[in-house]
Amino acid sequence: MAVSGSTEMGSAIDTEIGILIAGPGLAPGAGLRGLRAVALPGGLALLMIAAWQAVVQIGEIPAVILPSPISTAAYIVEHWDILLKHAIPTTIESALGFGIATVLGVLLAILITYSKLAREALYPNLVFFQLIPKIALAPLFIIWLGIGSQSRVTFSVFIAFFPVVIATTAGFMNVDRGLLRLCRALMATERQVFLHVRFPAALPYIFSGMKVAITLAIIGVIIGEFITAQAGLGYLIIFATARADTEVSMAAIVVLCLCGLLLYGLVVLAEFAARRLYSAED
Amino acid sequence: MADGALPMLTHPLLRIEAVEKTFHGRQGPVHAVAGATVTVRKGEFVSLLGPSGCGKSTLLMMIAGLERPTGGAIVLDGTAVTGPRSDVGIIFQDATLLPWKTVLDNVLFPVRIRRRPNAADRDHARGLLAMVGLSGFEGHKPAQLSGGMRQRVAICRAMVNDATVLLMDEPFSALDAITRDDMNVQLAALMDQTAKTVIFVTHSIREAAFLSDRVVVMGGRPSSILLDDTMPFARPRSLDLDETAEFGQVVRRLRLAIEAAHGRVGKH
Repeated sequence: MAVSGSTEMGSAIDTEIGILIAGPGLAPGAGLRGLRAVALPGGLALLMIAAWQAVVQIGEIPAVILPSPISTAAYIVEHWDILLKHAIPTTIESALGFGIATVLGVLLAILITYSKLAREALYPNLVFFQLIPKIALAPLFIIWLGIGSQSRVTFSVFIAFFPVVIATTAGFMNVDRGLLRLCRALMATERQVFLHVRFPAALPYIFSGMKVAITLAIIGVIIGEFITAQAGLGYLIIFATARADTEVSMAAIVVLCLCGLLLYGLVVLAEFAARRLYSAED
Repeated sequence: MADGALPMLTHPLLRIEAVEKTFHGRQGPVHAVAGATVTVRKGEFVSLLGPSGCGKSTLLMMIAGLERPTGGAIVLDGTAVTGPRSDVGIIFQDATLLPWKTVLDNVLFPVRIRRRPNAADRDHARGLLAMVGLSGFEGHKPAQLSGGMRQRVAICRAMVNDATVLLMDEPFSALDAITRDDMNVQLAALMDQTAKTVIFVTHSIREAAFLSDRVVVMGGRPSSILLDDTMPFARPRSLDLDETAEFGQVVRRLRLAIEAAHGRVGKH
């Protein structure tokens, strides 16, 4: 039964949210498990950072090779204004690429779902395109669109929209056939079937596609910044590495992680809101 | 029966005339239904009984307008059935509720397809839920209900548009035996109250005998109607009926009709 299927999927996503937004806000009784879900990965991460610090100190590794976590943190605190200046365009371009990729991906999925021609002609090509290492095409986008923001955003859209199309199409197609038959018996229009059945049923799929897309969108922008070398965290990483300023590179990478976490968190929040609207539970 | 003392004289509400359904599969044509003729009067509860694959569900889907007959005609309330229609309510084997809608919104779903539900619709839906003992569950989601409760919500949904005919496709076959008995008693009581015309598909001889005014036995290859038998039991009916000699005789008669076409089908 597809109903139970979507519930299972929902609970898997719940677990994912649980890990990210931590214990409070979860159902009563999940408190201890929630704490565990945060304490275990958090503890391991702290342990790794401590090990990193220890290796650098004990091995007297020069900062050019590997700056310690403490000196990286110190750099971030000291030069937060420079990092912020570069983080802003990277984050905005990533968000823009992700947003366009999501809209484009969902629209294409609707086309594939409702047009037999599109399904037969387009869908196999999309699946095939998934296999191509699309990053290799990045320099072409510079040739086609120049070194400005538009070429980075376009490349970001290009690599981010595939998972959205694939996941959303799967969601639209894997609807409980019983529900579709019910809609037919009730003489529902295609638009009503979409709004009341297909779209809500596909939401977990759409969000799983979006979560992959947001990380790919950031990768797309960073690659673009590596190549175009104007501004942004990708530019900062390349620029600093070229000057053997490894501490700056490391700081930029840490800030990049924070930006990625922020964007991913926003997607999870949006999913949380959507699931409140279309929840199978109370 | 709603029409009282003279049911024989009332105009038939549903006429199934020499209906055939042939599917064209890889191994040639499959005759799911061959020449079925049944007449149902207003207010009657008629069961289509038979083993799996006897075409009873196919016949029901044709009455619902979800399948087209390849021969013969189905006439409901004076007009030929050519597709789904609003005077027919249907209940499937699975409750097929929308998991993200509340119980009340699920019951109102057929209304929602036609227009925006108003306060009167909501009162009507609440009344239906109260009739099946689900008052207080209006705001629950289907996942919070038991299988029997979900199927009762589906029954309310089928009734919300005031359909004259309710079609039920093995609605209780996914439930455990105890819940199923309970649902049968509740359904019998509900239909005594509402006087709906019901076509009920089942492969349980006892269920068919307990619920119905008439039992139409389907079977054979290709499948046709083997027996059209009137159930002589008084209403309202309780589970005590199950233990009477008269009930036993009727069940035996129905079983023999199926066995004559299919060989022994087990001890029921």
